[in-house]
Amino acid sequence: MSLPRTVWNTIKSVVIGHSVTAREIATRPITVFYPEEKPEFPTGSRSVPVLKVNEESGYINCTSCGLCERTCPPGCIDIEQAVDPATNKKKPWPHSYTLDLSHCMVCNLCIEACPFDALEMLDVPELATYQVQDLKFNKEQLLDLWKTGKAIRIAEGQPMPSN
Amino acid sequence: MATTTPGLQSQLMTLNLGPQHPSTHGVLRVVVTLDGEEVVEAQPDIGYLHRNFEKIVEAWALPGVIPFSDRNDYLAAIANEVCVCDAIETLGQVELPDRARWLRVLFAELQRIISHELWYGAFGMDLGAFTPFLYGFRDRESGYLLMEKATGARMLYGFNRVGGLRNDVTDAWLKELEAYLDFLDKEAWPEYMKLLIDNEIFVLRTKGTGVLTQEQAIAWGASGPVLRSTGLSWDLRKKRPYLVYDQLDFAVPTGTHGDNYDRAMVRMLEIKESIKIIRQVMKRLPDGPVLGKARASVRLPTADYYARQESPRGEVGVYLVGNGRPNAYRLKWRAPTFSHLQLVPLLCRGVKVADMIANLGSLDVVMGEVDR
Repeated sequence: MSLPRTVWNTIKSVVIGHSVTAREIATRPITVFYPEEKPEFPTGSRSVPVLKVNEESGYINCTSCGLCERTCPPGCIDIEQAVDPATNKKKPWPHSYTLDLSHCMVCNLCIEACPFDALEMLDVPELATYQVQDLKFNKEQLLDLWKTGKAIRIAEGQPMPSN
Repeated sequence: MATTTPGLQSQLMTLNLGPQHPSTHGVLRVVVTLDGEEVVEAQPDIGYLHRNFEKIVEAWALPGVIPFSDRNDYLAAIANEVCVCDAIETLGQVELPDRARWLRVLFAELQRIISHELWYGAFGMDLGAFTPFLYGFRDRESGYLLMEKATGARMLYGFNRVGGLRNDVTDAWLKELEAYLDFLDKEAWPEYMKLLIDNEIFVLRTKGTGVLTQEQAIAWGASGPVLRSTGLSWDLRKKRPYLVYDQLDFAVPTGTHGDNYDRAMVRMLEIKESIKIIRQVMKRLPDGPVLGKARASVRLPTADYYARQESPRGEVGVYLVGNGRPNAYRLKWRAPTFSHLQLVPLLCRGVKVADMIANLGSLDVVMGEVDR
C-alpha cells in the first residue's frame, strides 16, 4: 500500500477511534470505589462454607457424621467427634470442626453432601488475612462467620433464588 | 551471528521475559536471545504454575475433579468442566438430562464470548493500545456477573456435576442474558472493530507478522483459532459434534494467511457465531430437570475414553482411564495452549521484540492450562 494511502487510513482510524471513546463522556462510570462503596453480590455468591445455627434449638445441626470431611476433594475439613468423658461414649456433635479456607476451593460439594442441613454457603468475600494460619477456622469462628452475612443453601437442580 | 556495522561493536544479549512480566499472560518465562532489537531465539520456560493436577486427581473421587479442572484454563472454566464431565459420563454411563445438554452448550458459548473479550483487551495491550482493554474488560465483567448470578462464582464455577448441572437458570436470568447479547451484538462488537481491529495501525502491525502455514500448524498440533486462521476449517463442534451442536446452525470462521491479523479476525467472528448459538439455544431450551440421578458415587469401569471438545483456545482433551473404583486410574489433560506455546520459537525467530509480544498475545496462552 502506498504511503499517502496509509497515512490517510491512519488519520481516519484515529478519528473513528476517538468518536468511539468520546461517547463515553456522556455515560456514567461503571467503576465502583471499592472500600467506600461496595458492589452488590448476587444471591448465591459463594465465599466460604459455614456452620449453621438451628433457629429452633439454638445449636448447630452437625452430628459429626463426617460426610463432608470425606466428600471434600482437597480435604480441608477436619472433624473431631465429641466424647462423653464419664462414659467414654461418642456423642452426636463435633468436639471440634476445622475448615482450612486456604485449601478450600469453594466447590459447594460439602454442602450438597450434608444430610443434616448443617452447612451453608456464605456470601461475604472479604476474608483476606495477613497470615495463612488465620484462614483455619474453628467451630466458633465458623458460627461467627455465619452471623456476619447471608448464608444460604441452594437445593441441587433448582435455580438460584431471586436471580 | 550478530550482524555488525563496521566500526560498531555488537554482541548477542540474553533477556529474561517474565515470569513476572505483564505482557507474558501469567507466569510464562521466555528466554530471549537478542541481536539488538531482533530476536535470534526465543525459548519458553514453563512450569511456574504447576499444580500437579493429573496426579492429584488420581486420588480424588470423581465429583471433586470437576471443580479442580476449572483451575486449568481459568479463563474458560466451563469448557474444562464440560469436557471432563463428558469423559466421566461417557465412561461411567451416566444419563444426562436434555435440559442440561442444552444449558451446557449455552454456558460453554457464553464462556467463549467472555474468554475472547479478555483476549481482545489483552491483545490490544500487547500491541500498545490501552483503550481496547477497558472496553474488553467492561463487557467481560458484565458477562462474569451473569455467570455469578447463575453459578455462584465469577471465574471458577464448580457448576457442572456428574450427570447434569448444579443449578437451573431462571427466565429472569435468560432475559438478562438476552439483553447482554443484544448489547454485545449491536454496540460492543462494532466498537471493538472500530477501536482496534479496523484500525490502520493495528492492521499494519498484525498483517504478515507471526505467519504460520497450514502444514506447520498441523505438524505442531495447533487447534482452535490458531489452526483455523491458516484456512483449515477444523472445529470439533462441527467435525465431532458433542452435546447438541449437531442441531445448531453456525458457521466456522476461518482465515487465509495464518498471521496475527487472521487469528484476531477468527476470534472476533467467533464472538458473533457464539451469540448466534446462544440465541438458538435460548429459543429451543427444553423444560425438565437439569440434574439426573446416580451422580454422588460414579464408578468407572476398566476402560478408557478420550473426550475432546472445542474450548475457546482449541481442542481440550481428557483421556480418562478407569479401573472399577470411584476415582480415575489415570487422567491425562490435553491443553490446546500447551501445543500453541511450542510455536513461540518458530514464530519469533528473526522478528522484532514488539512483534514477539504480539505473536505471544495472538496465540492466547493461558499458563494455568499449560503448566497444569
